[in-house]
Amino acid sequence: MKGVLIRLSQRVIWGVIMVFVTASFTFFLVRMMPGNPVDAKYNQLVMQGLTPVQAMNKVRVMYGFIPHEPLWQQYIHYLNQIAHMNLGQSISYEGVPVLHLILTAAPWTIILVLTGLVASFIVGVLAGVIAAIKRSSPVGSAISLSGSLLHGIPQFVMGLFLAYVFTTLWVLLPFGAPYNAELTPGLNGPFISSLIRHAILPVATYALSSYGGWLLTMKSSVITVLGDDFILAAEVRGLKMGTRVRYIAHNAILPLFTIFALSIGFMLGGSLFIENIFDYPGLGNLLLHAINSRDYPLMSGAFLLITVSVILSNIATDFLYSVVDPRIRR
Amino acid sequence: MSVENKVEDFSTPIGVHVRNLSVVYETNQGQIPAVNHVDLDIAAGEITGIIGESGSGKSTLAMALMNSVSKPGRITNGSVIVDGIGDMLKISNERQRRVRGKQIGFVFQAAQNSLNPLSRIGHQVLDLGRSHQVGDLRSLLRHARDLLIRLGMDADRVLMSYQHELSGGMRQRVGIMFALVLDARVVILDESTTALDMLSQASVLEIVRELHQERGLTIVLITHDMGVVADLADRIVVMYGGELAEEGPTEDLLRQPQHPYTRGLIRAIPRISGNPDEAIALNGSPPDLQTFAQSGCLFYDRCPDRIAECQAGRPIYKEISDGKKVACYKVDRRD
Repeated sequence: MKGVLIRLSQRVIWGVIMVFVTASFTFFLVRMMPGNPVDAKYNQLVMQGLTPVQAMNKVRVMYGFIPHEPLWQQYIHYLNQIAHMNLGQSISYEGVPVLHLILTAAPWTIILVLTGLVASFIVGVLAGVIAAIKRSSPVGSAISLSGSLLHGIPQFVMGLFLAYVFTTLWVLLPFGAPYNAELTPGLNGPFISSLIRHAILPVATYALSSYGGWLLTMKSSVITVLGDDFILAAEVRGLKMGTRVRYIAHNAILPLFTIFALSIGFMLGGSLFIENIFDYPGLGNLLLHAINSRDYPLMSGAFLLITVSVILSNIATDFLYSVVDPRIRR
Repeated sequence: MSVENKVEDFSTPIGVHVRNLSVVYETNQGQIPAVNHVDLDIAAGEITGIIGESGSGKSTLAMALMNSVSKPGRITNGSVIVDGIGDMLKISNERQRRVRGKQIGFVFQAAQNSLNPLSRIGHQVLDLGRSHQVGDLRSLLRHARDLLIRLGMDADRVLMSYQHELSGGMRQRVGIMFALVLDARVVILDESTTALDMLSQASVLEIVRELHQERGLTIVLITHDMGVVADLADRIVVMYGGELAEEGPTEDLLRQPQHPYTRGLIRAIPRISGNPDEAIALNGSPPDLQTFAQSGCLFYDRCPDRIAECQAGRPIYKEISDGKKVACYKVDRRD
């Protein structure tokens, strides 16, 4: 137990260092950008008729530091702001705190990507086990083929295809927007059902385009484990089919566990193509908007969020891995 | 399991009778016969040593005894009658599963990892018990602990351990425990001690011998180590190219080997004292696809005693005296 705590605290310290490094990197990146967006904004504000003091205050609110300060002071100010969970204000949505924008967009992305991820993982892994065990039969070949095909189709093609089939060819599902705008958001039946109906296509797009990857990885992992001596030994000891499948699945899923946990971390990057096609107000769309409108505070805020979530999931994976695989416990 | 039951179990050793058994391996170059029309009686309550060089079909034969030949191998013919159970190749899959582990224990090569790396040894004992409908799992664990102590291990620690926390010699003992914990009547040891150092090997074999005497176990000892079989086995069976070349009581066979291959094997053992150059290696290489296609004796190309007859057809494996069998034209002639 003590060892576990030491490991955990080591990870956390590393995580903090990595967040610090990324945050610094983001700061200097924005600061050193050709054309210096900070100075540019300041100059623009002055030209709009603000006094230099007003302009400076405004820029400080946006970026968290004063443009004419020495670099190191700007840096300290910036870090101080971050430590207080203040990511500055958006430029394109004037006056809106970046944190607020991100927190509003995050749930949409989480609904979309997390549901798609979990669904594709479960279906893909189960199909992968079947494809591996029945690999010499037509059923197994068909499953593998479905994985290869779906894996090969890019997300946006899949999205457009599904949108065409289910919203144009057969008008079964709504297209665009996360819910029917005529309804009042809240915990009421019509709103929730509208939410689900609008989510089906984007989630399906995500799930279908990730399914193949899980399937093929799981299949090859299972085949490797099937060749292990202890599986033959389990058979020769007369272990029940169920027990043997459990041994196989447990051993085969370990490599996928890492990929899965990291995918959850990358989830907050949003799924740009899907959110764009289905007009979903998630983080992917927000980031795209930030890039298009040169909204640097929003951009660096979003990058920071993505980094932190990847680092966090990395720590969690590392830690959970030692729970599921006794070989890396110390 | 009641006490009386156990006593009764121990008093009736089980034999295994192999008839006309053939196993082939499907390869790109065609079918390779790994076990070819083998007839073999494994006597109840005895230690039978099966010896032969690598690729002679020993391990395949061992797996075939339990009908567990894995792909691309396939049993094409024959029967394996286990006393009191029936033909392993004909009974239902579920019945076969229950015989494996319960009646017939199998100990793997020491170099192999026969344990699930993600589960504690104790849990795997419980998995085994549940698979074989053992009602009293607590007493099963106690039994496992007794066996481990008997095998010279810190039983409680081992049961709480994962495979990677044990040394090679310890894993091998754990493998033996798994083969015995359900009180199997027949135990097959497939090169089980080959990867162990001499001292571990000796102590493991000593325990096997003791258990054999105590429980009247029927043991099949598969090895390429003449010393091990000479020390332990009641009978020795010599395999060559998937066929039986010779068998007989240990002393008889070692003192008066009939088949030129057996003689070659015995001569090839280096002595610990004396000149190692006295050991004479067998010339040539084990049979390949081409050899199998020939009509004559499989050993013809390597045989120092070959005669014209040997090229005509395969020698017939037959009894030459009480309990001794051999497949050789030259031996036939001498009689």
